[in-house]
Amino acid sequence: MYLKLAWRNLWRNKRRTLITVSSIMFAVVAALFVESLGEGTRQQLLDNMTGFQTGYMQIQDYRYEDEPSLDNAFLFDDSLEQKIQTDHQDVDFLIPRIETFMLAAGEEITRGAMVMGIDIEKEHQFNEIRDRLKIGEFGESGEQKAVLGEGLANRLNLAVGDTLALLGQGRFGMMSSGLFEVSGLIDFPIRELDNQIIYLSLEDAQWLLSAEERVTNLVVVPENPRNLNPLSQSLSETVKNDELRVLTWEEMMPELIEAIEFDELSGRVMLWILYVVIGFGIFGTILTMTLERKREFGILLSVGMYRTKLALVVFIETLFISILGVLSGFGLGSLILLYFHFTPIQFTGDMADLMHDFGFEATMEITFSPEIYMLQGSAILVITLLICLYPSLKIAGMDILESKK
Amino acid sequence: MPIITTHNLSKVYNPDTVPVHALRDVNLEFEEGEFTTVRGPSGSGKTTLLNMIGGLDIPTEGHVEIAGTRITGMKESKLIEFRLNNIGFVFQAYNLIPVFTAYENVTFIMLLQKRSKQEMKERAHELLSAMGLKDKLDSRPKELSGGEQQRVAVARALASRPKFILADEPTANLDTDSAMNLLDMMEKMNREENVTFIFSTHDQRVIDRARRVITMVDGAIDKDERKSPPS
Repeated sequence: MYLKLAWRNLWRNKRRTLITVSSIMFAVVAALFVESLGEGTRQQLLDNMTGFQTGYMQIQDYRYEDEPSLDNAFLFDDSLEQKIQTDHQDVDFLIPRIETFMLAAGEEITRGAMVMGIDIEKEHQFNEIRDRLKIGEFGESGEQKAVLGEGLANRLNLAVGDTLALLGQGRFGMMSSGLFEVSGLIDFPIRELDNQIIYLSLEDAQWLLSAEERVTNLVVVPENPRNLNPLSQSLSETVKNDELRVLTWEEMMPELIEAIEFDELSGRVMLWILYVVIGFGIFGTILTMTLERKREFGILLSVGMYRTKLALVVFIETLFISILGVLSGFGLGSLILLYFHFTPIQFTGDMADLMHDFGFEATMEITFSPEIYMLQGSAILVITLLICLYPSLKIAGMDILESKK
Repeated sequence: MPIITTHNLSKVYNPDTVPVHALRDVNLEFEEGEFTTVRGPSGSGKTTLLNMIGGLDIPTEGHVEIAGTRITGMKESKLIEFRLNNIGFVFQAYNLIPVFTAYENVTFIMLLQKRSKQEMKERAHELLSAMGLKDKLDSRPKELSGGEQQRVAVARALASRPKFILADEPTANLDTDSAMNLLDMMEKMNREENVTFIFSTHDQRVIDRARRVITMVDGAIDKDERKSPPS
């Protein structure tokens, strides 16, 4: 009967209840949207950086991080691959890369470029790099073909079919130079790299740099990217006798961690402001409701209802309102999130340039995460229930005679 | 043994600023089955007296005993339980829970007493029928007239099987027909079930029906008259 009383009390002033439910609903929607968008953007940044730059984890020569030179490239042959794969079932596969900086020249213009030799099949399996080709295709080993970041191609005034000249230093000071046919242009998600990346096949790059069978980085693709530290430790044990070390993306990009943490903090501040605004809105309604029903509370206390039971009824009312608001917020929020998940927000013009400059894609993606639903739903629920303390305290200290006046 | 006794009951509001003597040394006894009216002008202390007897207010001096139990100074949780099981209340207006039907309003008080479902059902039907509201069981307060609402309030007060009912100006908002009808019902319950009623009122219609009339002036008992029962 207490539940019935609480439920019916909700609907005695339909408009007020609907306004309260709506305000909680919009609060949940706003909180879900802000958090999902923030998480989506951070995840996108992380995916791009780990997918195209570092991977989740790398094996390098132990000297390479301090001195990223081809001289510190290491031998990657079948025996090393087999040793890692055999000892570590949680390693999905390995991606060999060799990278260095060289001069890249078109017909008239020369610029510094980052040359990366990759195993295209494995690379695509990891980051779907083929899907980022705007035009053309990756070449096979020995075909002497190069794929350029679109930004770099524009700077060098090169198009598919043109010849690219590369000049630089190979392993142990060897002179390296070669001519490559531009076979494709890639739309690289990180602007800085888009303006300097050149992809060659792994073998072509190793030949160009006089570093046969050598790689500068071996990207480790784990079965579970969320559980890197144990794998990192066990892999370190496996490769330490080869003068190799294992680095996670967190160790390789501490500045990215800082950027993510800062972004998370800004998001939290926004959420807290939102919570405060919502809290005051809901408090206003609960306050009105409490004052309106003061006399009724007085009568119920007079006839023999315990204060605790009366407070319980009011608490259940607020709980009903909160649950209705949170559930409808989940409903509406899911529709909105679904829409933006399948139709990400695309920025154009100056805004897009600005985002590129900060290393972000000009697209904002939404993450669907049960954790966000749980967290935001609970946060709003807790706020509402805290607000409910007001009528409960009011009832606890209510003077029966005063309230009946 | 009297059902209610007040011993030297006094109440002073604002004792430190502008003292208002709402009750002055009131000594009264009420027997079971009385149909009593406390009358007097506004501010004479009628409602304060009823609040003291009902345990809703605390006297500055003196105490109240109900069926031998001293309720003055009782712990609040004990007092709530005591009120629930021993005292029925009918207030001037806004007596009922607006979202409950007449039937639910009556059963609610029994729910607080943790009575069985069957007993609640039977008692609610019996009381509402006795109050002439058999066909209004499912009506909510806003669908009832003022008189009907007060009759539901009386049924609710009786539902808990209290030792007596305190009715604070129950007819104040009612037209003559509704007031007479309500008084008829209460008189019937008094006569047939020996329910004790104590009213505070300045409504002459109520005073005329009462068998005992206590007149209060400035917080003190001015007169305490008993009428002979109708032959």
